[in-house]
Amino acid sequence: MKTSAFLAWITLTAASFGWTEYFTFENVAPPAGIDPQVGAMDRMPDGRLAVAFHRGEVMFFDPADGSWKLFATGLQEPLGMLAEADGSVLVMQRAELTRLKDTDGDGSADEYETVFDDFGMSGNYHEFAYGPARDSEGNLYIVLGIASNGAPMAPEIRGEFSEVGEVDRVGMSDLASWGKNKGKAGRMYARVKWRGWVLKLSPDGKKMEPYASGFRSPNGIGFDAKGRLLITDNQGDWRPTSPLYDVRKGGFYGHPASLVWKGGWNGGDPRLMDVAKLDAMQVPAAGFFTQGELANSPTWPVIVPKDAFPGGMAGQTLIGEMNQPNLVRVLDDEVDGVFQTALVPMFDGSPLGPGNNRMIFGNDGSMYVGKTALSWPGGKGITRIKWNGKPFASLDKIKALPRGFALRFSQPLDAATIKSLSVKRHTYDYHQAYGAPKKDERVLEVKGADLSSDGMTLTLDLGALQEKHLHLIDMTGLLGKNGGKILGNKAWYHVVKAPE
Amino acid sequence: MLPMKPIFLTLAAALSVSSAAPDGKQLFTTNCSACHMLDQMVVGPSLAEIRSLYDGKADEFVKWSIAPQKKRPGAIEMPSMVHVGEEGLRAIYAHVMEVSKGVVAKKQEKGDPFAASPTRTVRPQVQRIFMPNASPASIALALDDTNSLCWDAGTCRLRYAWTGGFIDGFPYWQGNGSSLAKITGTVKYTEVASPFGKGAAVKFLGYNVKGGLPTFRYKVGEQMVTEAYSPVSEGEGFVRSFAVVTKAPLVLDFPAESGAAITTDKGKLEGGKLTLTPAEAAAFILTFSLK
Repeated sequence: MKTSAFLAWITLTAASFGWTEYFTFENVAPPAGIDPQVGAMDRMPDGRLAVAFHRGEVMFFDPADGSWKLFATGLQEPLGMLAEADGSVLVMQRAELTRLKDTDGDGSADEYETVFDDFGMSGNYHEFAYGPARDSEGNLYIVLGIASNGAPMAPEIRGEFSEVGEVDRVGMSDLASWGKNKGKAGRMYARVKWRGWVLKLSPDGKKMEPYASGFRSPNGIGFDAKGRLLITDNQGDWRPTSPLYDVRKGGFYGHPASLVWKGGWNGGDPRLMDVAKLDAMQVPAAGFFTQGELANSPTWPVIVPKDAFPGGMAGQTLIGEMNQPNLVRVLDDEVDGVFQTALVPMFDGSPLGPGNNRMIFGNDGSMYVGKTALSWPGGKGITRIKWNGKPFASLDKIKALPRGFALRFSQPLDAATIKSLSVKRHTYDYHQAYGAPKKDERVLEVKGADLSSDGMTLTLDLGALQEKHLHLIDMTGLLGKNGGKILGNKAWYHVVKAPE
Repeated sequence: MLPMKPIFLTLAAALSVSSAAPDGKQLFTTNCSACHMLDQMVVGPSLAEIRSLYDGKADEFVKWSIAPQKKRPGAIEMPSMVHVGEEGLRAIYAHVMEVSKGVVAKKQEKGDPFAASPTRTVRPQVQRIFMPNASPASIALALDDTNSLCWDAGTCRLRYAWTGGFIDGFPYWQGNGSSLAKITGTVKYTEVASPFGKGAAVKFLGYNVKGGLPTFRYKVGEQMVTEAYSPVSEGEGFVRSFAVVTKAPLVLDFPAESGAAITTDKGKLEGGKLTLTPAEAAAFILTFSLK
């Protein structure tokens, strides 16, 4: 009797080691006849979800009955959305920020108002436009992706052309000679206005202020719960691995192509500048997504509302990811006023899959993940994720200390498993080449590991932390006191500023 | 085979952390599986096809993976896998060759799977997409099954009109936008410049849609303009209903060689020049009949 009861207990706990024990993952039936690649989502004041698809349809999904209703059509590559209090919807599409309004009350948009389109378009496919994010005063922030030398510019462009660069206007659109010119154009280029910039717009869209520069392919912009403007960007040239930025006015965020549009710029082709000089100009990333491990192409941030997920996650930021089958959770920390983060996988090893482009929480606390691919690695459709209310062990907080980190968990730890914990660190070179391998990777000796009396705070003595290094805390072998594994068991902390 | 020299010194340093032999299957899952399936092309070619290209050519496989190039039209360029390291790439190569033994690649489906969808076939229809011979901020407009046109929100003007169908947007939609939409039919009318004149600054304000037909709103200099489109009652062509707020007489230029017979309900149209009083400019209708 005793033996069989014990065996049953073993089986149950063995099965409870994954996300599916705590979350359900189900696919939302997509609307008929629509290419179900999701470019943007938001929640309407009435609780319906507004979803923008790849071919420009905006539809309302009613979680109550699973119905879809067409609201607007014909947009080009919508990649950001804000639902407004009056039922109108702001959408960022390739050419402009548009307000969709239903003025006659028949349930579909009859006015497509151009809110802001005062930026350049070279016709290059990689010039995606993202946003808007809205600050507490109602100002709107958009961010403009730059062009890829996978293709030239179109013969006809919108807006001013920058003469700063090795290839002239004719050469930049010369398809026949592109094989010869593309190397000199730069892997990614910004020869039309405000590409690679964050633009701050007044609430009515009539006033624009160039806000920050240095972006490449920033497929994620939003404010976190503490009012920081977070932007993610993609690994590539000048991006050793994908970064997360805390964007401030006037900052330069690493990709030099956009600098040609800086007021009074006379530094020549920024691509050919001294790398050390550029490096000194750039604001360090608040976080790094390790390529091939955590995320290759991070996406939109979303704030976890109260009660939707376990309490320790309320108010935290989640970020989507295209290639790896997971999301990323942001654990924030601040040292001497410098915002820096540990990034932790979420739903890794779950049925979620890749292509996680946009996320939004419904009024019932379900999270909806909209997927896309656009011929890159990804997915399609919408996955609904719901927490079943059962608690589990996870890393909730992290704090950098003069000699290591303090980790706060959601549940008491099994002290006997602490010795399994390991820490490594590495850094990256900042350079024009596409991506960068890890540099100076080394294992750190865990000199001490002190567990608090409640069993929930673990303080690691690693010696002095090294600035500009990414510290990986591997908790794979760590168990909670009740035998459960830590869900999200790796944390990559980017030490921008080490505490003294 | 003699071991090749490490390709980058930094890689050698990185590899020193772990001396265990790299696991090709694991590395494949992390770095390759999102784009390469066993028996069919998704983002990149299938493993079966890679086998047909690289069987017995491990060095070439490693070289390609470190410095890939754009090779296939409509497909993206593979990112460099330099971070995997040469030893890791060789392990991936061995894994790919092993699992693809005897596998035959499936044929790719061609054509737009949503071509018959109501949102695609509905007329009239407004669709923003990259169009040929226009600015990147263009709008394609199907008035009915026969008549379509390209209106350019970048330059605030009609660019051209065609008959015979609408657009094939699949070249654009199947990927990331690196191809233009194709015109279905024949371009019969081209407007080489804005009727309001070449130099004036324009500002696009958006459009309203009624019954699927758009009314574009824009400014030319200080003049407020609305321009609504509708189909002709018979034959090939289109109707433009303008409203221009102006204090001075308005002269619009429609060069005679454009390919359309134009009639107006107001003002005087002579030698391709339409002259309107401010009162007439407040509401006038032009009918373009195509031959």
